[in-house]
Amino acid sequence: MSDLGFALQLMGIGMITVFIILSLVVLLGNLIIRFVNQYLPEEVSRKVEQVANQTSDFNRKKVAAIVSAVKTVTGGKGHVTKIEKL
Amino acid sequence: MSIIEKLYHMTAIQDIVNGPGTLLMLVIGGVLLYLGIKKKYEPLLLIPIAFGLILANLPGGGMSVVPSEFIELDGHRYKNLFEIANDHGIMNFLYYSLIKTGFLPPIIFMGVGALTDFGPMLRNLRLAFFGAAAQIGIFAVLLSSIALGFTPAEAASLGIIGGADGPTAIYTTIMLAPHLLGPIAIAAYSYMALVPVIVPLVTRLLCSEKELKINMKEMDKLYPSKNKIKNLKAVKIAFPIVLGIVVSIFVPSSVPLLGMLFFGNLIKEVGVTVARLSDAATGSIMNTATIFLGLTVGATMTSEVFLNSRTIMIIVGGFIAFAISIAGGIAAVKVYNLLARKKINPLIGATGLSAVPMASRVANEIALKYDSKNHVLQYCMASNISGVIGSAVAAGVLISFLG
Repeated sequence: MSDLGFALQLMGIGMITVFIILSLVVLLGNLIIRFVNQYLPEEVSRKVEQVANQTSDFNRKKVAAIVSAVKTVTGGKGHVTKIEKL
Repeated sequence: MSIIEKLYHMTAIQDIVNGPGTLLMLVIGGVLLYLGIKKKYEPLLLIPIAFGLILANLPGGGMSVVPSEFIELDGHRYKNLFEIANDHGIMNFLYYSLIKTGFLPPIIFMGVGALTDFGPMLRNLRLAFFGAAAQIGIFAVLLSSIALGFTPAEAASLGIIGGADGPTAIYTTIMLAPHLLGPIAIAAYSYMALVPVIVPLVTRLLCSEKELKINMKEMDKLYPSKNKIKNLKAVKIAFPIVLGIVVSIFVPSSVPLLGMLFFGNLIKEVGVTVARLSDAATGSIMNTATIFLGLTVGATMTSEVFLNSRTIMIIVGGFIAFAISIAGGIAAVKVYNLLARKKINPLIGATGLSAVPMASRVANEIALKYDSKNHVLQYCMASNISGVIGSAVAAGVLISFLG
């Protein structure tokens, strides 16, 4: 086979391989996200839900920010149980 | 008289008279230093490369890298590192131990992995496909280079410049055509530095104003994503482990690069417990590797190796590979937009090459120019990061077939 023919073949194989691998990236990424959402949802998300249900004055984004801030500052040991406007 | 003659021979004046190409190389070294220092074109690599070039071309300095025939012995054996250091000096010791073995590019990839955030890609996984389309430049230039008389291995090394990934280009060239390492490294890093010029140029040629005004956030509101990530940290930890294993099964030759990229990323995502490791990977190790990579690659560029028509062809071919890669990504988005309701801004395709994060920043600036509320950075990063994986996979395929 001539070099050009070989190069054309290589072009086909190379592009198909790159597409397959990046399809796997998409597929595996989605599978990991589904698995994690199902079995390992973040503690903060659940806490946000609990706290948000108890407090009507705050929107969920603000509650999430407060819960995350407390988690970061206390190294994961502190928990927000209730938020009140003073 | 004989003393004056001896003094004359002690200097390098006669060498310069015998080989005026050396002077031209010193000028080229000076120009590269100017671009790195004054213009800030990829200074972290261009400055060491330029200085390595100057060291290699100082007559009588013994700092140039010798061709591999000089270290070959009978019966497919090679000199050991002590003999190389003794016979050819420290630069050859560094080159043959760190570069020729393919050691430094994967080490740099580890640092790149520790600096990379897969978050934007995980939030917009379908955009990863455009990182595949943007590899077309690699193979298009491979094809045309063979037509111009390059061997397939040389053409592959030239084409890989289109991946816009310095370590990948260097690694592939070490494996396939080490005699072209200098010009290919220079072309790869120069064009990466010129991303702010090349991306707008190609985008302007191929995209309409209407396309560039496509607002990705508006599209997300109109067609929201079904998969919302509930624990991003866990996903980010699992992703490099799972992907590393799967990719190694399909393209084992890309493992030295991608394996180290995923390892670097893993130690970043694990966080505080291994912060010292990720600090080392992105700091002292990566900086040391960058210094030695730059100096030794520069030292391969002697006047005999660099001053020929092939270097010009590599510089031109590299630019074409780069431009075709950007165009390939844009074309893929255009085709997608013909079929899908949720439209994508073509700039996301333009960033499918792996010059991270510069290509994304440039694309974001272009989008903001057309619509001051259209921030596309996170979306561009998705295809940009997938481009890093795509170009390493393309390199793996080329090494498998031509190595």
